[in-house]
Amino acid sequence: MVNEGATLGAAAARHLLRRTGFGALARDVSRYTGLSRGAAADRLVGFKAKAFKPGGSYFEQAHDKWVTYILKAKFPLMEKLALFWHDHFAVAIAKVIDVKRMGLYVGLLHQHCNGNLKTFVKAMNKDAAMMEFLDTVRNDKGIPNENYARELQELFTLGVYDLAGQPNYTQADIVQIARAFTGWTYDGSNKPRFDDYRHDYAAEFPERGPKTLFAGRPGFPAGGASFASPEGATEIDQVVDVLFQHTDSQGKNTVARRTAYRLCEYFAHPQPSLAFVDQIVAHSGFDVSFDIRRLVRSLLCHDEFYASAAGPPYTEASRKSVRWPIDYVVGTLRILGLKPRGRYQVIQGGSYRRVFDHLGNMGQTLMDPPSVFGWDWETSWVSSSTLLARYNFARDIIMARWGGGALKTDRLVNTGLTDPGAIVDAVTDLFGVRDQLSPAERQVFVDYLTENGTVPSIDLRNWDVRNTKLNGLFALVMQSPAYQLH
Amino acid sequence: MNVTRRQFLQRTGAATAGALLGPGLFAHPLVRSAMADTIGDRYFIVLFLDGGNDGQNTVIPRSNGSANLRTLYDGYRRTGGGGIAVPAAALAATAIGNCPGTGAQLGLHPGLAGFGGRPGVGGLKALYDAGKVAVIQGCGYPDYSLSHEESRVIWQTGNPLGVPGLTGTGWGGRHLAHPAYGYGGTQVPAVTIGSSVAPELRQSGTSVLAIDRLEDFGFPYDYDFDDDTATKREAFRRLHQDLAAGDALPSKAYLGASGHATLVSSESYPQLHDLYQADRASWSAQYDGLDRSTGYDLREIAKIIYGSAQGVPNIGARFFALANGGYDTHSDQGAAQPTGQHFGLLAEIGAAIKIFYDDVASMGLAHKVCLLVWSEFARRIPQNDNGTDHGSQGPMFVVGGSVNGGVYGNHPDIANLDWNENTVYRQAPGPHRSTDFRDVYGTILTRWVNMPPAAVAADILPVDTEGPASDYWQTANFNLGFLP
Repeated sequence: MVNEGATLGAAAARHLLRRTGFGALARDVSRYTGLSRGAAADRLVGFKAKAFKPGGSYFEQAHDKWVTYILKAKFPLMEKLALFWHDHFAVAIAKVIDVKRMGLYVGLLHQHCNGNLKTFVKAMNKDAAMMEFLDTVRNDKGIPNENYARELQELFTLGVYDLAGQPNYTQADIVQIARAFTGWTYDGSNKPRFDDYRHDYAAEFPERGPKTLFAGRPGFPAGGASFASPEGATEIDQVVDVLFQHTDSQGKNTVARRTAYRLCEYFAHPQPSLAFVDQIVAHSGFDVSFDIRRLVRSLLCHDEFYASAAGPPYTEASRKSVRWPIDYVVGTLRILGLKPRGRYQVIQGGSYRRVFDHLGNMGQTLMDPPSVFGWDWETSWVSSSTLLARYNFARDIIMARWGGGALKTDRLVNTGLTDPGAIVDAVTDLFGVRDQLSPAERQVFVDYLTENGTVPSIDLRNWDVRNTKLNGLFALVMQSPAYQLH
Repeated sequence: MNVTRRQFLQRTGAATAGALLGPGLFAHPLVRSAMADTIGDRYFIVLFLDGGNDGQNTVIPRSNGSANLRTLYDGYRRTGGGGIAVPAAALAATAIGNCPGTGAQLGLHPGLAGFGGRPGVGGLKALYDAGKVAVIQGCGYPDYSLSHEESRVIWQTGNPLGVPGLTGTGWGGRHLAHPAYGYGGTQVPAVTIGSSVAPELRQSGTSVLAIDRLEDFGFPYDYDFDDDTATKREAFRRLHQDLAAGDALPSKAYLGASGHATLVSSESYPQLHDLYQADRASWSAQYDGLDRSTGYDLREIAKIIYGSAQGVPNIGARFFALANGGYDTHSDQGAAQPTGQHFGLLAEIGAAIKIFYDDVASMGLAHKVCLLVWSEFARRIPQNDNGTDHGSQGPMFVVGGSVNGGVYGNHPDIANLDWNENTVYRQAPGPHRSTDFRDVYGTILTRWVNMPPAAVAADILPVDTEGPASDYWQTANFNLGFLP
């Protein structure tokens, strides 16, 4: 159920901030506690999108600018959404090469992140980086290239199958869309340009003519939805209009349902119920308006979103989601008040490894997703290689005590505490996982501090004790299974 | 500097470490070689050509045979600017056997002979001539998908019909987790060279490592406080091993098992790099000369195989996976010229496989190693502007000292393309009968991994029970002949 009036307790507020931002800071949790779900969601989604374009003379520089922008974000949800759309409309520098072109693409991701999805897709159709990445620029009259036509349906709008497992389109539909998209390219300043002489194709279609989609599909005329002239910009916009009219085998708007499903997976948990999906679409009217802001607002007011806030003992309803590397890195830096420094954006004091490399080793280089499918989520983020990268990052964080005093644990934890249990609670509170630990997990941290109970009291004012055990505890929490989830 | 296993042992003594690690981890994998129904002391490697390798330009007709293959080929693929046709004359040096169905003479793309003037020259072609390569033509499945994602998942799960019980696990992973023929929870039977576990090895029970480079694989302790390291390690181990194993939240249990495998392996695997570099420096340099990721990845596998054969403890990997990307050649594919894109891709794997084979052969282990090469689909038979769109059936390669080299399977029927201009999967016997990719997997599982055919058919690669019988795979053939 969408319940706008329910009041947020501290745990729910922390969950909301963790999922819509990067780590939940104590001061933010207290600001959101006591608000209604609707009021809290309004505060979060009410930002005015800004077309942030990371630039730079080389790729790593642009990448670091985006990371810094996320770290300083006034509206973390704008960044969370931009990252979602980056994964959804995946484009990789590996094929695009040009940094400026990638920056413009990232600008679009930001500009439309809480706007109208139909407008967003139409803008993506003409984005220079996208045209390079999915070969629109190589889709010519006579010699078609179906890459973009396929992914426009499979990844950006409909999906191969609907949520009931029925196919949404046929190869014939791909061919028709590829025909409509022939002739598109971009000019020297990355502006879209339509080359009329390269438009439309194929021996079967010696004359230009109408394209027909979804012949024989319920919801469309018997012969399919036809659209024709004028060729060029109007025609490819018409393709999108038709895609957004598509209904699935259960008679629901396919784009609305699939997009909502993916947002539920992203913000809530990996197996959202169909009721969750359909209720937020109905509540927001997303299947008519395609207004992303309203859809996300409904999602953030739904019971199933809040069900996954619960800590152990876990149930089906309290499934967790594996944090993305960018969330792990930026969330940790925000919580500890650290920032990468210098031209190469390193965490000073430890390995001096670049944040760029940390993220790459964890499996997420921004602007360079592994394929057209974006990143694989959830346990696909987890392997011995990527976990080791997270452990390396955790070590570099605690070694930042040497980086010009950047990590000041004595300012993050009350050094007057001497009870090991109280110290564990303070540190796990700081990292936002205290309510996500079982008693047995908490006991492991306590046993670590007390050497299995042989040292009953900890003096955090002692430099050596503080740096051994408090830093050790910080690292252990950052390496714990609970901290990889949210 | 990380505290490695070696330093850890020096400080704490091996007995302590053994007690911490637990007895299961010291079960030497070679003990398994005495047991029936396992891969024993052999190794299996799967190499994925990511993006859809152009099969028609990988195993190429040089003559017409009974099906007019070369003439048809020349009609579909152009010469000149943007043309990708490989002339018959350019294939004389890479000629292989004839197509079993049509009798047409075949040649490998010249790139598969490696890069001129670089290590590994001769490439896969040289190994073919030595009788170590099985070329299996026309592999695929009915009702092919042209989606990278969908087709890749079909190949990796061995599940074209989306049978629910087979989704989410890889065909190799189902073997690794098999209750009777697989591996227990504390074992690490497989390694992916890369940053995430290869989907064909994905499963639920045992641990599959993903390692980019062995030398970078060490657990990062705070090196200012060595005295505390053993305590840190024990706390980490409890969080990941003791607690996560009993956790009702599947993702957390998964994280815990992976974290624990990372800990143990980070202590045992890095030394394999040092051992290999010390004993086999000249071999290592060969891969350096290749300067390509597939070569570097295969070198990591060579290090593990070498260390494992030398009896280094806590090394149990028998299955490996790696991938090489870039095969989605929609544009600028190139023909036979060494500067071409497809040439570069094939030369990379041809040369890397050659060096790797020679390396393990010089260890005396060539007959213990089997490498399978696959791609999620081949490409459109007619070329587009200067590349190729997504297609259907394509060739697979199986390489190893125990492989019966030669050409298996029939060339796809390029005379009869479907309306989408791809070849059709042919179930009916005859000169164009296709090979179901699951028969290739099944042959490996039964004849190399030693699983009983009945168990493979029951639990790993069941025959299709849905759909019209004539269209689907109803009779498994787990002895295609390329393995003894």
